[in-house]
Amino acid sequence: MNNGGVNTTTGNETKADAPSGRAKADDFARAVSRVAVAQVCEGVGFESVRDSALDSLSDIAIRYLHDIGKAASFYANISGRTQCNVFDIIRALEDLGNFQGFSGASGVSHCLASSGTVMEILDYAQSAEEVPFNQSIPRFPVARDRRLIPSFTQMGETPPGKHVPAWLPALPDPHTYKQTPVWNERKSDLRADKIEQARQRRNAERSLLNLQQRLAQFGSAGASTSNIVQDHQPKELKADEGNPYLTTPLPPGEKEVSSVNLPVILSNGPTRENSLSVLETFAPAIEAMKDRFCEDGDGDNKILPPDKRPAIHFKFKTGKKVFGQSSDLKLHTKYLSRPVALIGREEERDDKKRRAEYILRQAMENPQELTQM
Amino acid sequence: MNNHHSQGQQSSESKHDDDAALTDFLASLMEYTPTVPDELVEHYLGKSGFQCPDVRLTRLVAVATQKFVADIASDALQHCKARQASIVKDKRDKQQKDKRLILTMDDLSKALREMIDDKLPFIFPFSVWCQCEAPGVLRRQSFGWVGYCH
Repeated sequence: MNNGGVNTTTGNETKADAPSGRAKADDFARAVSRVAVAQVCEGVGFESVRDSALDSLSDIAIRYLHDIGKAASFYANISGRTQCNVFDIIRALEDLGNFQGFSGASGVSHCLASSGTVMEILDYAQSAEEVPFNQSIPRFPVARDRRLIPSFTQMGETPPGKHVPAWLPALPDPHTYKQTPVWNERKSDLRADKIEQARQRRNAERSLLNLQQRLAQFGSAGASTSNIVQDHQPKELKADEGNPYLTTPLPPGEKEVSSVNLPVILSNGPTRENSLSVLETFAPAIEAMKDRFCEDGDGDNKILPPDKRPAIHFKFKTGKKVFGQSSDLKLHTKYLSRPVALIGREEERDDKKRRAEYILRQAMENPQELTQM
Repeated sequence: MNNHHSQGQQSSESKHDDDAALTDFLASLMEYTPTVPDELVEHYLGKSGFQCPDVRLTRLVAVATQKFVADIASDALQHCKARQASIVKDKRDKQQKDKRLILTMDDLSKALREMIDDKLPFIFPFSVWCQCEAPGVLRRQSFGWVGYCH
């Protein structure tokens, strides 16, 4: 039987000063009986009651109640019944009677309803004044609805082995007792990230291809010069389809690197913004590609003086995708087929190296398409 | 057994009256609300194996228990009053102090001892009683301890 939370609180209150303050299952009932006995004593005539006396008297009352139940159930069982009736109780009361003999005790066939016990109780009920219990008590012990473990059939699982019937509670999930791998549920984001990475790489490679083409076209005409530097040439740059490297060279002492950003911001062109963002984004990639170009050294690349860095002009030509499309598709499929290769910077460098070589080869083979771009 | 049969035939005629008396008794009992609450009674009766869905029976047991406790308390009260009366005779100074009637362990133990002494055969452990008297009950014999203490 479970008395629930109600029991423990009252148990703690009554046993607050006791050395062994552990709440027992019976504490609530004992507290209630104490109150009832105290009320009876008050009805009898006592003005106050000592604690020890109250405890003893309530204990006696509980034992009496328990004994009545035992005797009544005994009489019922002896008569071949499981449920007690009024005669069982009367007999039990006669056995536990606290009076000196009662009328009709020696007779067997007398009616129990007219026995002395019953008479005395009736007299008491009629004479004593009615003093109901002063508090409302919930029904106890409180029966809680226990959430049972679902069976195998309820879970929809088959029990492991034939020796386990399906109506038994299901076994716990393996993650409760074993360390199972944890999956990060962000597959869609990962895929989108991969696609975005591939797109950005394609753009970087396209721009690098442009660089390589111009280097090949204009040779040593001035790879270090840049048309972006000049402030008076924004119109030319905007409509630039021709020779960005044929503009006037920088006056000596000026640095190109720092001034690259200024005209981009001032002009506020859409293309310029794109190139700025791409420039910022691919600064490390561009550095890596520059290193690789220097290493490959097919003769088209110039070893630049250390204080001058080549200004890279990016162009996004969305219309013409003759060359770019095939490479894009090839790269795209290559990346999708090898998702593991994306992890790790060394692998990325190897891929970029391979792609750069491929682009160079393509550039050599198709000079006509280069002129179009 | 022959005696029993003859007695049975005689009592069957008065059974109707007895049933009526019984129902009257239970009805009159239900008018009285005992101080001992029903939930407490049901709890302890359930613990001891008593099984009955009828509310009137639990009320009967509650009234019986209340009567039991009231009897002991009244005996203790008599002891307490007797002691106070004896004290008042000796010392008049303590009269005002002892006006309050307090149930103490002394009075309670005296009352209980008196009860045990008077009704020893009835308070005897029930398990022993079962072992001794159960065969007699099965054979419908009379209670064997009436007049034991004399």
